[in-house]
Amino acid sequence: MNLNANSVDSLVAEIQGFSGSSQDVNHLNNLLKQSEDVIRSQAATFASCLTQLDPSIHSLGYLYILEACTAGPIPEAQANELVLSVVRFIDVCSVAQIRLVPDKFISICKRLHEQVMILGAPMRAVAPLLTAIRKIQPSSEHLTPLHPDFLQVCLLSKCYKTGYSILEDDVYEVDQPRDFFLYCYYGGMICIGQKRFAKALELFHNVVTAPMSSMNAIAVEAYKKYILVSLIHLRQFSATFPKYTSSVAQRNLKNFSQPYIELANSYSTGNISELEAFVVANQEKFENGNNLGLVKQVVSSMYKRNIQRLTQTYLTLSLQDIANTAQISTAKEAEMHVLEMIEDGEIYATINQKDGMVRFLEDPEEYKTCEMIEHIDSSISRIMKLSKKLTTMDESMACDPLYLSKVGRERQRFDFDDFDGVPQKFNL
Amino acid sequence: MDFSQLTDAMASRSYDKVADICDQLMLQIASQGVAFQDEWPYAVHLLGHIYLNDLNSARFLWKSVPLSIKESHPEVCAVWKIGQQLWIRNYAGVYDSIRSFNWSAEIQDFIASFSGKFLLTKKYTRRMLELLMSAYSTISIQDTALFLGMNENDATNYVMQQGWNVDAASQMLTVKKQVTVTEQKIDPSKLQRLTEYVFHLEH
Repeated sequence: MNLNANSVDSLVAEIQGFSGSSQDVNHLNNLLKQSEDVIRSQAATFASCLTQLDPSIHSLGYLYILEACTAGPIPEAQANELVLSVVRFIDVCSVAQIRLVPDKFISICKRLHEQVMILGAPMRAVAPLLTAIRKIQPSSEHLTPLHPDFLQVCLLSKCYKTGYSILEDDVYEVDQPRDFFLYCYYGGMICIGQKRFAKALELFHNVVTAPMSSMNAIAVEAYKKYILVSLIHLRQFSATFPKYTSSVAQRNLKNFSQPYIELANSYSTGNISELEAFVVANQEKFENGNNLGLVKQVVSSMYKRNIQRLTQTYLTLSLQDIANTAQISTAKEAEMHVLEMIEDGEIYATINQKDGMVRFLEDPEEYKTCEMIEHIDSSISRIMKLSKKLTTMDESMACDPLYLSKVGRERQRFDFDDFDGVPQKFNL
Repeated sequence: MDFSQLTDAMASRSYDKVADICDQLMLQIASQGVAFQDEWPYAVHLLGHIYLNDLNSARFLWKSVPLSIKESHPEVCAVWKIGQQLWIRNYAGVYDSIRSFNWSAEIQDFIASFSGKFLLTKKYTRRMLELLMSAYSTISIQDTALFLGMNENDATNYVMQQGWNVDAASQMLTVKKQVTVTEQKIDPSKLQRLTEYVFHLEH
């Protein structure tokens, strides 16, 4: 016992002593790694020493101890206290120190997430997890295992705007496929709440077309929402998958989403009463999938779809005719629909109340304002950045021994051409 | 709870900052495990979102308001009523929901700055006028009054100042389109950028 007390004291002393320069901290990290078993077995004793440490200065040591304390099951009575100390730690900890042991940092954040869920207070983790993501990710291009957790607590506590803030980062680096699937799925749901349907579509599309070797529930649910958002936003749905979609997804996704495929088919007929009847008949299925709200948005987007199609055929049309062809009950209601679409920039038109006519116009954009040039400019530079990334990845793959050995095996034997000329030249 | 930032923003009428300040503060207080709901200025927070026309955030905030607050704070409900009318785009209903409540001194100025209860050039009225100008070539006086939240006389006078014409016989207004001047001059540095693009394409 005495020995244990000594080792605890000496370790705490070492943490206090070696938290200065980066050299010291690296040394401390080695010491702590060696003592990991001791810390774990004596977690309770170490916990009582946390008061002697300053989480902002002794971040590394603090993290080791905190992680050990949270490793086992946590009694309900201590949950609140634990959440508070993790939150405080995330807030003040030193970035350089925690990045030495990212797994431990991720692990305490995961515990925080788990505990606030048990406490039924997801909002408590929103701000801390956002801080944690920013502190642990090497750059905004890296997806961390905390991203899905953060988006989930945002959804549950209805902090959609805060959640949306991380979706603006372009992600290029992913460790675990599961993190990416969940990130895109939750992210898509956040975008739906914010009515950013184009972004939602992109995220769901990522899940559906991501490489996968077996079917998973996330992809199925994402596919259902993909269909619905596609109808709301693009007013159509194409059932063919892009070529790069995994064969598992191509074979199975449709079987799991039958009512949604049928909904899309019904939508394409343009008949509102038929679509409404289909929704009523299948209400339970959509409700069980938690998609009824989206399905209702699909139905109301049908009016807009029908009006939008009129703009392709007519230059002017009376409000009454719009009401008739778009299956809207009165001319006044048709006017309100048209007004809404003008307000949202979905169509270009002017309403003439005196004659009861609507005149459809061309898109007034002439692509020559400074604003538009800025917009095109930033798109070009984004694409350039992307293409550079692609080239780098292509090159690193071409040098990858694993890849080369696989390609070599498949080629069986070298052609004579492969040896042609070069050695002789060098013999000279 | 430290509301000094919020009080400052309200006092200096920086209403566009209110939503962000409230959002941040709420998350910060929540992370400390404080039960803030009973004392939270929901009415101001909601109005902050509505002021920025961020109806999504207003709606999600409303959904997170505890039932007990909804029942005991009629002003919170009254603010949401405005948001609701905006959400369903009942343009005239927005004005009704603003007028039908006796707002507390605390948020009266905030409400006025949004709705134009006292000044005609304020935010929502202005937005409606712009919508009418972009969407209509002719519109009835009656509808114009509804959209602008005024009586027919005031509305007619107001739009005539904007250069619209009245046809007394049909009670119709002819809308004068807004001419927008957009900056088209290009910075010479753009040329440099173009050079870079061509360079990129060739390599």
